[in-house]
Amino acid sequence: MNPTLLEEVPPPRRTPVRGVRETLQRRGARPSGRTYALLRWAGATLFASVVLALVVSLLVSSSQAFGHSGLSFFWSGTYNASKSIYPTGIFIIGTLITTTVAIVLAVPVGVGTAALLSEFAPKWLAGPLSIMIDLIAAVPSIVVGLWGLLVLTPVFAHHVEPFLKKVPVVEWFFHGAALGPSMLLAGTVLAVMILPTIVALSRTALASVAVEDREAARALGATRWQVVRTAVVPGARTGIEAAATLAVGRALGETIAVAMVIGNTYVLPHSLLAPGATLGSAIINNFAEASPGLDRSSVIGLVVVLLVMTALVNIGGQLLLRSRLRVKAA
Amino acid sequence: MTEPVVPPAAEVSGSRGRLARTSTPILLVVVATLVLGACGSSSPSATRKKAKPATTTTAAANPTPTTNPATPGGPSTPAAQSAAHTATTKPSSSGGGCSATGGSLSSACDTQSPALQVTGAGANSIQPFFGRAFYFYAQANHGVAVNYSPAGSSVGVTDIQQNTVNFGDSEIPIKAPASGTGGTILQIPVDLGGVALSYNLPGVGSGLKLDGPTLAGIFLGTITKWNDPAIASLNPGLNLPSTTIVPVRRADSSGPGYDLDQYLISTGGSAWTSAAGAAPSTKWPISSVGVGQQLNTGVASFIQQTQGAIGYVEYAYALQASFTNVAVKNQAGSFVAPSQASIGAAGAQAGNLSAANFNIINGPGSGTYPLANFSWTLLYQKQTNADLGIVLGKLFDWVTTTGQQQAAALGYSPLPANVVALAHSTLLQLQNGAGQALFS
Repeated sequence: MNPTLLEEVPPPRRTPVRGVRETLQRRGARPSGRTYALLRWAGATLFASVVLALVVSLLVSSSQAFGHSGLSFFWSGTYNASKSIYPTGIFIIGTLITTTVAIVLAVPVGVGTAALLSEFAPKWLAGPLSIMIDLIAAVPSIVVGLWGLLVLTPVFAHHVEPFLKKVPVVEWFFHGAALGPSMLLAGTVLAVMILPTIVALSRTALASVAVEDREAARALGATRWQVVRTAVVPGARTGIEAAATLAVGRALGETIAVAMVIGNTYVLPHSLLAPGATLGSAIINNFAEASPGLDRSSVIGLVVVLLVMTALVNIGGQLLLRSRLRVKAA
Repeated sequence: MTEPVVPPAAEVSGSRGRLARTSTPILLVVVATLVLGACGSSSPSATRKKAKPATTTTAAANPTPTTNPATPGGPSTPAAQSAAHTATTKPSSSGGGCSATGGSLSSACDTQSPALQVTGAGANSIQPFFGRAFYFYAQANHGVAVNYSPAGSSVGVTDIQQNTVNFGDSEIPIKAPASGTGGTILQIPVDLGGVALSYNLPGVGSGLKLDGPTLAGIFLGTITKWNDPAIASLNPGLNLPSTTIVPVRRADSSGPGYDLDQYLISTGGSAWTSAAGAAPSTKWPISSVGVGQQLNTGVASFIQQTQGAIGYVEYAYALQASFTNVAVKNQAGSFVAPSQASIGAAGAQAGNLSAANFNIINGPGSGTYPLANFSWTLLYQKQTNADLGIVLGKLFDWVTTTGQQQAAALGYSPLPANVVALAHSTLLQLQNGAGQALFS
């Protein structure tokens, strides 16, 4: 083996064992263990009951709307005193489109940034850079929304959207008037908001790829870039997928920032430049004014639909992760 | 538990062994469901958490957060702070016969009251006027600081009905009988404002004329170009470009939306009523056309940024942004642009104004602007905290009299004399907890 490679292997980390023997030998160790077990179960029960209570109360509050419209609630929509319906189906499609745009924009950038931070960048750059990316996560939604409304909207209306309309092939997605508020802008704002999640989790995943894998690639003569591309990123695939799943969850549920930049128009979008609406933006725009009864029940019905969507994404992500781990173990 | 919570390794493996031994397939299924449920909903619960600031975002866009009225001493307004600064230099004027604990309700005594912090919430459209009026009131009466959260008329109504603020404000009064958890609600007209239809059309500076049917066509999406024959025939002198019209509306519920809906219902013809319904709604009825933005500021910033845009905002916001506004056809058939005079002319038509008879949309008179309305402050008649009742009574008596001087500079019109009298007589109905009148 090449001795220079050996030098790079970090010394194996040992878990501190000091105090374990003393704890074991002390009298009353077993009762304390029992208390701990009890606490664990109490905590688990509490958490599960909070989740159940939340779901049950939402279902009860929205039962009137589902009773009124039945399964058609999921497509043709909810009750509105002045205009008879809101189209739930359009909100669902809008939510899916903005989330897709956000993921398509944020995953390559996020994973690339994570690779830069963990593999390429020198320490003096990686530290401050990752702090700045983490800071994005600390910016409140309303601030991101205002930034989107006041800064990004004119930039998109006058530069980005007219440009995209001129690019061949791509233009198919971008026809219609370039107004600013659009599916594209909402997706872009969401991409900014989910970027820190993707970067932080992908970075951890990349860093935990085994040294042996990197060494093997290098032994085959791979350059630094090839090592990352062929060994590190594929090795961290599970972690990157987990990061994307979490990011999807956040993008689906974001409300106020989206409501400020999406244009809040209730029609099936024919282009990414068209204004639209998502479940979250529809909930926030309609809940305050919804009169008690069928009207409010319908808006809470939208909340249930959103809850189901986010739950499905999370469960799907979990199943995907588990199947990957099983394949790996086999 | 003073012992470290590190479980002994033997204990951990032991309990695991027990669990494995006793676990039946059913138990496994239950645990799996719980885990899945917990994983699946970790993100929705985050969504719910986020939804909470989101509902206050409308309020977050405002400088003054709503505080719990039960705890005076919350964040003080800039007005209050500046009042504190000038407290030593400007002693409050002492009027003869005025009492800080009730007495007569007259403009001479309005600035003498107990020192209290007052919170309110409601219409977004009145915010420029309230912000300025409350500042000057605090200058004149150092003890009183007002926090107003302009989250929207509907929030103002809900908050006062649930008694979480000291006063509410709504562009549309509550339907009789107005009441909430604190009893009967008094409704006081406090300002006279208008709704401007502002547009951004380079080359067409001002003087664009529109009537009900063309406005209905624009907001229904049937008139899509600025040089549409329907618009051109109303504006023979203007050289209209072929720019696409981008109608912008409020995405949230709004007073201006209600006013325009009311105007279009009475003038826009069957095309509007068949699509939007015959009853005016604070929620804009046609959400499938154009772009929806939040609050007056969102609509205003969109108009500013977008060529070809037309939208409705409170006149004060249009004036502030120096927008060009449509001259709207009124009942007498003349085209009138919003101005302090034309909105004032609309207010002068309100001979027998009351909370039940509040509509001054499309009023008579050739100089009348058709999209004008009064804003209504909502107070509980019975004030269990008598000091607070006195402060509220004097504050709003001041707002409807002396305070009206602040309205003109912002694009609101001063209240007509009969409306001031209505406000005064309504405020005289304020009672303390025992049901006795607070003012003589």
